Amino acid sequence: MRYADFTSLDLLLLLQGLGVSAALFAATTVIGTAIGLAWALLRYYRTPLLAPGVAVLAELLKNSPVLVQLFLVFFGLPVLLETDLSPEQAALITLSANTAAFIYVIAVSAIESVGRDQLETARVFGLNRWQTLRRVVAPQAAAFGLGPLAGLLVNQLQVTSLISVIGVIDLTKAGAILNQRTLKPFIVWTVIGLLYYLMARLIARTCARAESRLRGHSQWKGL
Amino acid sequence: MQSVAKRFGANTVLDGIDLRIAPGEVVSILGASGSGKSTLIRCINGLEKLDGGTISVDGHRVDDPRQLQHVRRCCGTVFQLFNLYPHMTALQNLTLAPIEVLKLPRRQAEEEARALLASVGLLERADAYPAQLSGGQRQRVGICRALAMKPRYLLLDEVTSALDPEMTAEVLTILAKLAAEGTTMLFVTHEIEFARQISNRIVFLDQGRLLADLPTARFFAADGGLAQPRIAQFLSKMSKS
Repeated sequence: MRYADFTSLDLLLLLQGLGVSAALFAATTVIGTAIGLAWALLRYYRTPLLAPGVAVLAELLKNSPVLVQLFLVFFGLPVLLETDLSPEQAALITLSANTAAFIYVIAVSAIESVGRDQLETARVFGLNRWQTLRRVVAPQAAAFGLGPLAGLLVNQLQVTSLISVIGVIDLTKAGAILNQRTLKPFIVWTVIGLLYYLMARLIARTCARAESRLRGHSQWKGL
Repeated sequence: MQSVAKRFGANTVLDGIDLRIAPGEVVSILGASGSGKSTLIRCINGLEKLDGGTISVDGHRVDDPRQLQHVRRCCGTVFQLFNLYPHMTALQNLTLAPIEVLKLPRRQAEEEARALLASVGLLERADAYPAQLSGGQRQRVGICRALAMKPRYLLLDEVTSALDPEMTAEVLTILAKLAAEGTTMLFVTHEIEFARQISNRIVFLDQGRLLADLPTARFFAADGGLAQPRIAQFLSKMSKS
């Protein structure tokens, strides 16, 4: 057996990389969604100082390259705080914050898509702001926001590949290792690409299913 | 309601309106588009801030946020464009506020809601979403939703102007029944004939000013409301169309 042949251990490496990518994606999605929704809530309640502050922060995160943010966190933050940061921690922090910024934008526009008449009706019937959000605004905003959300999540999955640069052994890094040893770039990167593709399809399908359930009330099924 | 004023920018929409409505009365508000009829309703349930004057319902003032809750509890509102919650079934539209605001147990709220829907002939549509209902059915749900809060007063804001004549008839039949049962109603409308049938009093607004506030018979009498040229002109125009 030549050193350049594929072995069953390579499959293990690949699966491990896949696991790291999927886990990081899942974790940053959960954390990012929680933070992004919390930011949107600050805006919904028009919290003084915090709401505009969050808007500026989201703008910064949204309009700078994720790779630069990653370098800032991985190389810059430890210097500033005089601590050590593992590549995984840096990846988790950066991607969570980045996802949060985009979730915030989607949540805000989804909330604003709910008509003023709906808010006024809820108010007239005596619902307070929280009841209005929970029972009237959120269900309608969720149906509106799921389309953009699916697009965002698929994109954030691809963005996780950037963390290979700071040494996290994710799916892309696993591909780079295999490629270096076997010198079969066409096969390796095709397989890696397909794996990303399958994960992305899974995300899109899940979102589409949730969306059609949330839109079940309207007869309009789209074009 | 005393000398109520409302301005949008430089535009005076309501100008010194005085109005009293006693329990059990049905008062119709007539007037051309833009005369301030809908704004008046929006002022009563606190959707617009007053620029002058006071409105109180059962002694609760609209301009005090804490008393406003009481006002909204007393007044049920039915909207021109129904404003049903699109993501909820007819039944859920009715039970939302009773469960959330009045804290009724779900079962009791649903029982009452079904009884209301039955009274307007919509029991079998209880689980339909607004998108699956006709305009007339939607507005009947809208009326039931207001009634589900057991309001003492019903504010009706051009509730039939988005409906065709047949659907209008469906809705008016229900309103006539409510009026006959002694529900207090403030009825903003373009349905002059109907207003004449069910109202005790007619209020006429013109450019934000109250031009007439007369018992129905007086309003339509030649030496009553019709003696005012603006009202005569409005009525003759409306009857032609």
